[in-house]
Amino acid sequence: MTSKRILMGNEAIAFGAIKAGVQIASGYPGTPSSEVMETIISHAKEYGIYAEWATNEKVALETAVGAAYSGANAIVTMKQVGLNVASDPLMSLSYLGVKGSLVILVSDDPGPHSSQTEQDTRAFGHFSNIPVFDPSTPQEAYDMTKLAFELSHAMETPVILRTTTRVSHGCADVLIEEINPVSRDIEGFTKDTRWTIFPKLITQRHPLLEELQIRMSDNFSEYFNHNSFNSVSKGSSNIGIAASGVSSLYAREAIKDCQGIFSLFKAGTAYPFPEKAAYEFMKDITDLIVVEELDPYMEEQFLQIAGKYHLDINIHGKKSGSFPVSGEYDVDVAIEGINHALDKIGSESCCLSHSGAAVKAEDIPPLPIRAPTLCAGCMHRTVFYAFKKAAAKLRSQTGIDSVFSGDIGCYTLGNARPLNMVNTCLCMGAGISIAAGLSHTQEFSSGQEAKQVAFIGDSTFFHSGIAAVVSAVYNSADITIAVLDNHTTAMTGHQPHPGIGVTAMGSPAQIIDIAEVLKSCGVRMVKTIEADDLDKCIDIAGEAMQFEGPSAVVFKGRCVAICKGTGQYIVDEDKCIGCNLCINQFGCPAIFSMSSGLPVIQDTCSGCGLCAQICPSDAIVPKEVSQ
Amino acid sequence: MKFDILIAGVGGQGVVLASRLLATAAMDAGFHVATAETIGMAQREGSVTSHVRIGDDVCGSLIPQGKADLLIGLEPAEAARNLIFLGKDGNMVVNEYAIMPSTQGCGEYNPEKILEFLKDSCPGTITADFTKLAKDAGTYKAANVAMIAAAAGAGLLPFSQEYLWGVLEKMIPEKYRDVNRRVFDMAIESVSGKTGKETAKDQ
Repeated sequence: MTSKRILMGNEAIAFGAIKAGVQIASGYPGTPSSEVMETIISHAKEYGIYAEWATNEKVALETAVGAAYSGANAIVTMKQVGLNVASDPLMSLSYLGVKGSLVILVSDDPGPHSSQTEQDTRAFGHFSNIPVFDPSTPQEAYDMTKLAFELSHAMETPVILRTTTRVSHGCADVLIEEINPVSRDIEGFTKDTRWTIFPKLITQRHPLLEELQIRMSDNFSEYFNHNSFNSVSKGSSNIGIAASGVSSLYAREAIKDCQGIFSLFKAGTAYPFPEKAAYEFMKDITDLIVVEELDPYMEEQFLQIAGKYHLDINIHGKKSGSFPVSGEYDVDVAIEGINHALDKIGSESCCLSHSGAAVKAEDIPPLPIRAPTLCAGCMHRTVFYAFKKAAAKLRSQTGIDSVFSGDIGCYTLGNARPLNMVNTCLCMGAGISIAAGLSHTQEFSSGQEAKQVAFIGDSTFFHSGIAAVVSAVYNSADITIAVLDNHTTAMTGHQPHPGIGVTAMGSPAQIIDIAEVLKSCGVRMVKTIEADDLDKCIDIAGEAMQFEGPSAVVFKGRCVAICKGTGQYIVDEDKCIGCNLCINQFGCPAIFSMSSGLPVIQDTCSGCGLCAQICPSDAIVPKEVSQ
Repeated sequence: MKFDILIAGVGGQGVVLASRLLATAAMDAGFHVATAETIGMAQREGSVTSHVRIGDDVCGSLIPQGKADLLIGLEPAEAARNLIFLGKDGNMVVNEYAIMPSTQGCGEYNPEKILEFLKDSCPGTITADFTKLAKDAGTYKAANVAMIAAAAGAGLLPFSQEYLWGVLEKMIPEKYRDVNRRVFDMAIESVSGKTGKETAKDQ
């Protein structure tokens, strides 16, 4: 029995995994991948699944690997940059393979919308010799997830299910089968030299691994005969269009008025590339247009095949200058690119056209820029402002400047005006190490001394901050670490972490206390403070910055996105002197300046009272008091 | 059949929920549907959009420029920002309630002028302060529900308002159901007699 449901791509993947009999799930949250694990977690008890949030992607993958060695069906989830963290076990794992099954869900983020990179996991599959499935819709994501588990078990290899933002974070009607709880007997771990990586083992396994790539490539070419993920259709011209993933839908819509002219090649199996099927497709055409986001991955595969078989074919894509080399694609990008290629081909057959909009872009009047910013009442704003004040004081008293290294999370938004408190940001956990590196140079623009401060969130601290703290202490880096502990993994949707005392499945857990970790790592000055009193925060920030050697302050608060606010504040217009400090200093989205020049506090105020604490005329008062 | 809806607003206004409600109602009415949502960093008070594509065939979730049949703007500037997506025969429902940008130096913003521009660009545009309407009914947060109800009430959706309320009833937690029913009814009442482009053509 099947039923139709509106599912987000990530939810569809979770249901696909549950249907395939997943027994163990691990992951680390990251946009746009997080809802896969969240959906599995919310159904875990019902289907007897063990699910956990690991401290980082490397740990998550290794945990899933252990489970798969025991014969379990395992899934691990992460975003594309998470795969970089997990790449160490990944690269070795492909030689050893797995026993049960292991699916690695990795979400790419063309744009990028919410990521540091525009990397392409299809290329990572190629690099690590691990097959990659590339769904184009939530329905395909559901079906491919099931197939990925089957393939993993049959070929004893991990399988990467690679999505992009529009597949992961798009909803669609998805046909899913009835899922019944099944018996979950796991064969168990058998001792075997196969599980212990060693140079000698690799010399034996490597040829087998390469041979497997050819077998899988042939297997995926076979898919074109019976599997809708891979398909070809013949057109009336000598021009072909190839695409994979969501780009195949953009290409199809772009050419819908010229249907039947182009031959189409769609591959849902990105790696190993189905070479035989691609060759068969290429030998009957003279021009091939490749529509794909991120890397020119397919384009390179086609170029290689053209060279290998001496095919007389022109290949048009990113490398030929027809398509943008970066950024997210859509139907309009596909139309532009295909037209560019058709122009080069000199094709008379057709030219694709855009739809006419009601209004042209140039006719739209200037609009306010609305960059993402910290929520109204966010504790991070208080901490950033405290450090800003403490740094200004340090500079005026000693002439020593400060550099602020940020990290990945909501608090990356500390870079926004008017706070401007993030001078460096690179990747998860890098803030502390970069601050340490800066401190060892002892110099700041033309030999001036500078104090190094690193901001890191609670979940990021556990992810990859601890090793950086140990290294900084060991090497006597003179840095101040500010832990922004809002008791959740906020940016990705409020997942728990080891500092909270509860597991993903909701069981009580040992709390790993961040301040105690810092102390045990040898940080000599470690202070903990609630981030609600601005003056106290400024004082402690100043004290930490003036401490010689590594120092740390754990600022504690609650994420306003999940905790009810503590009332609201309003501006008493009789007292307000119109200095607009409350607006100019914080960038709080609840406050704006009216045409009269006086500030107004909106309903989104959550009552943190930070603005009231700096108002020179005590004009910002709790709402109920004034009424 | 092909019907594309673009919902634009500011992070926190409930753009994602509005698109889920529309998508689910469209599926219940027997169509294929695909949405694209803004989730993650941009949600934090930034400009956000949801694309909702309804039709007989499966397609990519991003609406091409000039293809949207309906633009629902939860905020005037955000409606204007996405006007390039609206087709020449498309309709628009816009919330008059403006959200002023918090950060200094974002440029001048005169919501009145933007609303005028929107009405000039798309005759028959339905505008009202849906945030106030929702607040009067019990919570300003239900402006998103008010706006999709208004679109249904004005006959601008490819399915009847019963499908929409059916979904709301299923998806909204019980304790918020009454206030949402009030918002829903008041929004439909507020657009009685308005029918988007048709009205404009009649005039």
